[in-house]
Amino acid sequence: MTTPAARTTPISAGETPPAERAPIELTDLSVMIGGQGGDGTLTVSDLLGRYFRKHGLYVYTSRNVLSRIRGGHADASVRASRDPISAVKSQVDTLVAFDKDAIEMGREEMAGHGFILYDSTTFQVDLPNSAGFPFATLVGGPLGQPIFKNTAAYGALSVLFGFDPTTTRAVIEERFKRRGGEALEKNLKALEIGRKAAIEAPGVAGRFAVAEGDAHDLILTTGNQAVALGFVVGGGRFFAGYPITPATEVMEYLQRYLPAFGGVVRQAEDELAAVNMIIGASYAGARVMTSTSGPGLSLMTEGIGHAGAAEIPIVVADCQRVGPSTGQPTRHEQSDLSHLANLGHGEYPRFIVAPATPLDAFGMTVDALNLAERWRVPVILLLDQALCQNTTTSERFDLAHVRVDRGKRLTGESVAQMAQYKVYELQDDGVSPFAPPGTPGIWSEVTGNEHDEWGHVSVNPANRLRMMRKRMEKMVRARDELPESRVFGPPSARIGLVGFGSTSGPIQEARQLLEHRGVATRYLQARTLYPVPTHEIDPFLASVDVAYVVEHNYTGQFARLLRETMPAQHAKLRSVLRYDGFSFRAPEIVAQIREAA
Amino acid sequence: MVQSAKPVPPIWCPGCGDFSVLAAVKKSAQELKIPVHELVLVGGIGCSGSIHNFLEINGIHALHGRLLAQAVGVKLANPSLTVVAAGGDGDGYAIGMGHFMHAFKKNASILYIVMNNETYGLTKGQASPTSQIGFEGNVEPPFHSILTALSIPAPNFIARTFSGDPKGMTAILSEALRFNREGRGFAFVEDLSPCVTYNDTYKLWREKVVDVAKLPGYDPTDRKKMFQLCLEAVEEGRIPIGVMHRPKEVHADGLELKLVGSTLGPVRSEIAVEPNLAAYQKLLAGLA
Repeated sequence: MTTPAARTTPISAGETPPAERAPIELTDLSVMIGGQGGDGTLTVSDLLGRYFRKHGLYVYTSRNVLSRIRGGHADASVRASRDPISAVKSQVDTLVAFDKDAIEMGREEMAGHGFILYDSTTFQVDLPNSAGFPFATLVGGPLGQPIFKNTAAYGALSVLFGFDPTTTRAVIEERFKRRGGEALEKNLKALEIGRKAAIEAPGVAGRFAVAEGDAHDLILTTGNQAVALGFVVGGGRFFAGYPITPATEVMEYLQRYLPAFGGVVRQAEDELAAVNMIIGASYAGARVMTSTSGPGLSLMTEGIGHAGAAEIPIVVADCQRVGPSTGQPTRHEQSDLSHLANLGHGEYPRFIVAPATPLDAFGMTVDALNLAERWRVPVILLLDQALCQNTTTSERFDLAHVRVDRGKRLTGESVAQMAQYKVYELQDDGVSPFAPPGTPGIWSEVTGNEHDEWGHVSVNPANRLRMMRKRMEKMVRARDELPESRVFGPPSARIGLVGFGSTSGPIQEARQLLEHRGVATRYLQARTLYPVPTHEIDPFLASVDVAYVVEHNYTGQFARLLRETMPAQHAKLRSVLRYDGFSFRAPEIVAQIREAA
Repeated sequence: MVQSAKPVPPIWCPGCGDFSVLAAVKKSAQELKIPVHELVLVGGIGCSGSIHNFLEINGIHALHGRLLAQAVGVKLANPSLTVVAAGGDGDGYAIGMGHFMHAFKKNASILYIVMNNETYGLTKGQASPTSQIGFEGNVEPPFHSILTALSIPAPNFIARTFSGDPKGMTAILSEALRFNREGRGFAFVEDLSPCVTYNDTYKLWREKVVDVAKLPGYDPTDRKKMFQLCLEAVEEGRIPIGVMHRPKEVHADGLELKLVGSTLGPVRSEIAVEPNLAAYQKLLAGLA
């Protein structure tokens, strides 16, 4: 049998042999892995992420997949850094290609020192700084199946980056231990095949060195996982949803987590049913949530309006993707905001809150559940694809600040003291105490029709005015209880940045790039988007000469909301927009600011 | 005694078939001694959907067509409640058709009463999914809920009543509620409830109804046989009423039974942080 090494055909065009020069030391690196769906690009990304974590680095991984199960080009990127990161790096240090498309797409983003490692089983390229190995053939012979080519590629990468062999192996053991047996054994063999090939090829081994970090007590997680965990610890016990990218994982995580706490997760026949099921469950006394994305949100609009009119607390997590219509299911956008701010026919109060990171999402899911019950309104937890699905290192989720506030909820004992129970009773803060069905001695009539305090349908104009004000004024009264904006940067800075959601990651990185060039900026991360926290944003805008509102949509939806609610600041606002389905890279934010400045 | 919402006078026209349903629901609940605070009535949109306003009861006035989804949510959140969804044929078989079909599949132990008058009464007499060809220019054949219900192989209770026979209706509603309270699954009862203003069918229906129990070979545990008997009756221009399916098997889902039989269930489970602290910490510690 021919040894794998003898079959490698590395291409090294005019490169200095590695032995003659020191490895390039990387403190913030990005690896892009591309191939056909089913090539196992996500596995390579996962393995690298695990290695970098063991190496004490912060990690941020993203994926670019098509809305299909197999086939079509798909890629993933892993970024690792000694410093905290929450964004995709603008340049690729190493590209791993299982198909030609990956090389075509990835080359544009390559750093000057970038290296391409590709599977030469079906194609060859003649490019500088590249090496091709027939991974599929190399593993196909000894292991019987070409599918282990991705693990072989990981092996070759480990040589390219000078990984510690013991840790490299430990990652494989950790990843495949659950499947155990043959799967583990074959992956370990594939790893060695990849390593051997890379070691024997010229110009590969030790080309790069990866700096060790000290980020150890962290978790790797996603926004969707954080929302699911926040729901559990926030007392959420009933969830209904309908599968939709990129929100589905929330439901899948809850199917795993919730039954142990007496909770119920049901997959509904559509989003109309999902939102109405949680409305019923909330009326019956459970803490509830659903998760969806644009197309589902359009269907849920009817039910959310009903919850607003009937004052039934619900939380709707909207994992935004590219719209309208089916749009681009797997791609990133922040274009649901205008719809949400004006959600549905008629007028009713709603709060829209937007976390930036998984840690923020964990805490804010609890906040959303508390706010919904405290104020008896629908609360929208506004997320985006990058936050929902990209994997990032995060501080551990902490229970210290988690508390359950059910607002003015009545119990059997408190009801017994009352002379009368009016389900929509007018009280000073606009919130009526509520007792769920099953509370002895009383009953609750709720309706989406306009109603009087008893819950009886009413067309009385004076009553209509009282009830409209009762509901609508919640958006003013609740102001100080809504999640607060966060401001970063020196008060003396003359340039302001405003954003929300995962865009905070690239914005913060852009601020650092600008700082290195001597440009001071201040960033306001809005965490409540609606009602617009003018009491926070207005003073911020007053403190700067110009403010760039950075968001992922065509029309500048958040900027429009700010102009509408703070017309005096109109002239200061500029939009930095991206709507091609990918999230911002820090340098392009810098470029747009410098262009305008 | 705490004063809760008092019933309001029905909005229905004198002679409306829905009055019989109101009376039968009341009687059945009394017969089964269901405490008022444990009974939830989810109404649809339309004349019939306002039924919960006329009773001392927990009530949701749901969205048009969405009452079943809300009723299932109520039941799964607190399985100790007795949940009745009630609406019209437009609500259930037009805008709510998707939820209607899935209610049989979901098989939550709730009772769904459809008051079928073969017209949209509240919006003044348009053709509904059950309207006969020719009614208000209708050219589409009428939908037969019982045949559809029988075609879904789930252990549901299926029956049809007639507002012209209130005694028979009370007996069937009582049986349906008992079926629910034993956690045996979904109960569907269609009531033939004439609209005296826009489609007064009392006389016609009295002539056409046929008690399925009196048909040769009647066996409500035999789905195939019942489908055949009902289809034959329909083809002969008659309207079968009575119990169409009474499953032998026990509720297949088991979810509610599990919840009812334990201290769990979303509403009764303790949701504060402290009592769950150890389990929460374990969950969070499991993150790599």
